[in-house]
Amino acid sequence: MTLRNKLKTKFVLVILLALIAGLVSYPRVVAKIPPVYNALNKLQIKQGLDLQGGFHLEYNVDLSQVEASKRAEALQALQSIIEHRVNAFGVSEPLVFIKKSGANEVLVVELAGVKDINQAKEIIKETPLLEFKETQVDTSTQIPQETLDQMNAQAPAKAAEILKQAQSGADFSQLAKDNSQDSGSKDNGGDLGMVKEGMMVPEFNKALFDPTFKDGTIYPQVVETQYGWHILKKIATTGSGDTLEVHTAHILIAKATQPSLKTNYIDTGLTGKNLKNASVGFSSQALSEPTVNLEFDAEGTKLLADISQRNIGKPLAIFLDGQIIEAPTVKSALTDGRAEISGGFKTVQDAQALVKSLNEGSLPVPIGDPIYEQHVDASLGQASLMSSLKAGAIGLGIVLLFMIAYYRYLGFIASVALLIYTALMVAIFKLSAFTPWGITFTLSGIAGFILSIGMAVDANVLIFERTKEELRRGRDMMAAVDEGFRRAWPSIRDGNYSTILTSIILVWVGTGFVKGFAIILMLGVVVSMFTAIILVKIILKFTLGRWATDRPWLIVRTKDKKEKDKA
Amino acid sequence: MMQIIDKRKYFYVISGVLTLASLVILVLWGLKFGIDFTGGTEMKVKFSQNVPNSAAIYDKLKELNLESLVIKTAGDGMVVVDYRNSNDQTNRDVFGKIKELDDNAVQVSTDFIGSTVSSQLKNSAIEALILAILGIALYIAWAFRKVSRPVSSWKYGLGAITALAHDILITVGVFVILGKFWGVEVGVPFIAALLTILGYSVNDTIVVYDRTRENLLKASAKEDFESIVNRSLNETLARSINTSLTVMLVLFALVIFGGESIRYFSVALLFGVTFGTYSSIYVASAVLVTIYKFQIKKA
Repeated sequence: MTLRNKLKTKFVLVILLALIAGLVSYPRVVAKIPPVYNALNKLQIKQGLDLQGGFHLEYNVDLSQVEASKRAEALQALQSIIEHRVNAFGVSEPLVFIKKSGANEVLVVELAGVKDINQAKEIIKETPLLEFKETQVDTSTQIPQETLDQMNAQAPAKAAEILKQAQSGADFSQLAKDNSQDSGSKDNGGDLGMVKEGMMVPEFNKALFDPTFKDGTIYPQVVETQYGWHILKKIATTGSGDTLEVHTAHILIAKATQPSLKTNYIDTGLTGKNLKNASVGFSSQALSEPTVNLEFDAEGTKLLADISQRNIGKPLAIFLDGQIIEAPTVKSALTDGRAEISGGFKTVQDAQALVKSLNEGSLPVPIGDPIYEQHVDASLGQASLMSSLKAGAIGLGIVLLFMIAYYRYLGFIASVALLIYTALMVAIFKLSAFTPWGITFTLSGIAGFILSIGMAVDANVLIFERTKEELRRGRDMMAAVDEGFRRAWPSIRDGNYSTILTSIILVWVGTGFVKGFAIILMLGVVVSMFTAIILVKIILKFTLGRWATDRPWLIVRTKDKKEKDKA
Repeated sequence: MMQIIDKRKYFYVISGVLTLASLVILVLWGLKFGIDFTGGTEMKVKFSQNVPNSAAIYDKLKELNLESLVIKTAGDGMVVVDYRNSNDQTNRDVFGKIKELDDNAVQVSTDFIGSTVSSQLKNSAIEALILAILGIALYIAWAFRKVSRPVSSWKYGLGAITALAHDILITVGVFVILGKFWGVEVGVPFIAALLTILGYSVNDTIVVYDRTRENLLKASAKEDFESIVNRSLNETLARSINTSLTVMLVLFALVIFGGESIRYFSVALLFGVTFGTYSSIYVASAVLVTIYKFQIKKA
């Protein structure tokens, strides 16, 4: 490959990179091509809490009551309970993690877009509640059988009375409106629409398709079904055989029945704090059958003895955070503080899942009040985002203008590279979500990004100043540009090292604000070395030619005003 | 050509006065530390209609006996309430009282930092500063490891560090004044800004020194040290100014348009970068010449 061809390939690659970075960072340019736009628009920069609103809470975890060997397990359990709790908010990607802070363990909870911070704090802090509740069948809503019989005794007579009225020519739909107890059809005058054979309960069906039942007539008898007593009217018959359909209407006098039984759950005072341990075991009768074994403390043992005594043969319900998770039936009195739940588990995993829930509910890791809290309302976050983006756009614009005004064509190419830099950075922010090093954009990160825009052209300034010097010394354009790149490199490298060095220190010791700023600044320095040096060099070498060597004034201003005066 | 080195006495006076004044006010008045370092709460509340005046809010909160309570209005119906406290319940009580003034008031942002966290932040800030100073000093020693006559490498290092100390002290001085008269508080972001200044300002100095070294190697015997340094400064003047100018332009945009939360962070960077450029032109090389002359006199 000739040098020129190699350069051409590189130049095409630069254009491709610029196009891809541009599309990823600003998909709106292809808004008219929906499939491409939609795919690209799915990539979004992940915004930090200070931009999208939300809060960050930190709690000290008091592990003093937990045995050293069980601490890791306890922390993990704590994390999963809190996750469970914050999931109740339904926010996207709640973040719960434990971090080490000095000698302490700190629980960190980050929730985006939650409005009521105090409610959220309540929900996080409240220790998960494991409760054992007695069950009681509620008979208060039951109707005595006598009353029921009485009610139903009068119904056939009432139905017969209505049938008589219908047969003597009273308006059927008016009768239905006044008397029918079928709430679905009464307002339509009892109209049931088109009915096919077999759609209705047998008694109803038999009457409806009775061949002697003619269109436009009332069925001569009251039809009794499980629902009550029906007076039928056949309005019209259509089709035959399989397509036979009957348009019908009815009036229902409903049968009174017992309402379904309700179970009430009654607090027993036995809660997760009484549970010492829950573990998976195997039934003594059938070894393959998993069981869950519970062990209670002294208070729990006393409570359990009383509760089990009075509930033999009845279920004892287990609630975690107000939701029923299991209701095993008590087989015998449990007096030794131990209980075995058996029979309900198909697999060992089922039993383990229950054990996990039970242990979560009983975990004694108090977290106390928050020691650190940061909360930003979404409205404020968005306002900050808008104003800092505006600042960035204005800053970028001024730098572009300055570079072009001061360095002319060289400055123009540096500006093109700066735009590619900006697009490339945004594309990296978006695409980083697919890597383990996802970048979250915070306000301080934006500040770092904007600062990096100002720093990105530093390399170009150094190169172009050097190029100017070489031109003044009488070198030709192409050689001066080459020399500019070559000789400015050590200064650029050294200068960027020191910024990277302080950024690394900031990332290392810093948290939150500082980290967000330093990571993006550091990334910016690295990426800008690529765009400001490599990209600018390729574009310059490819585009500079005879047209440029003939018009050096267009490429860069070599003489300062004062020197010109002297000359 | 500008006679920068020749006039170094004037710049020494300017820089000396600024640095000394910064040191004096730092000792006398001190920086106003924010809740990052003292622990406490900063709550921003947006009132739905008329913003009650600070006195009314102060009266309302008086019975909670809050330590160092400061109430500032922030425009757009917002009020910032600032106080030292160590527990979460106080924050709820404060907001409860504010709700009594305006039932539709909204807590738009809250920063609460407990005392354990603030002392940790303070420690890590000090740790970061020490690390950065050590790191930069080591870095300078490394960057100038190729000893060149007639000035040995540690002298470049001393010059660069003098310039950096100058930049940092004056920036701190600016914030002592901002804190004293306008209540501007410094927290973790300020430390981050100082570190960034350290990393960035040394760049310009390195560019000038690099050129000095290059010119020393090529210079004729007739040219004396002073004028070589002065020539190097003049040759690199445009790049010193232009590299900083682009950064200052974006920082200006951030200070003016960038919203309140990062305003003083940007202000600190802006001052640091400005003085950093000044010192790499007028201080760093001058110190180099002074050390050189001192060395000759002694010899």
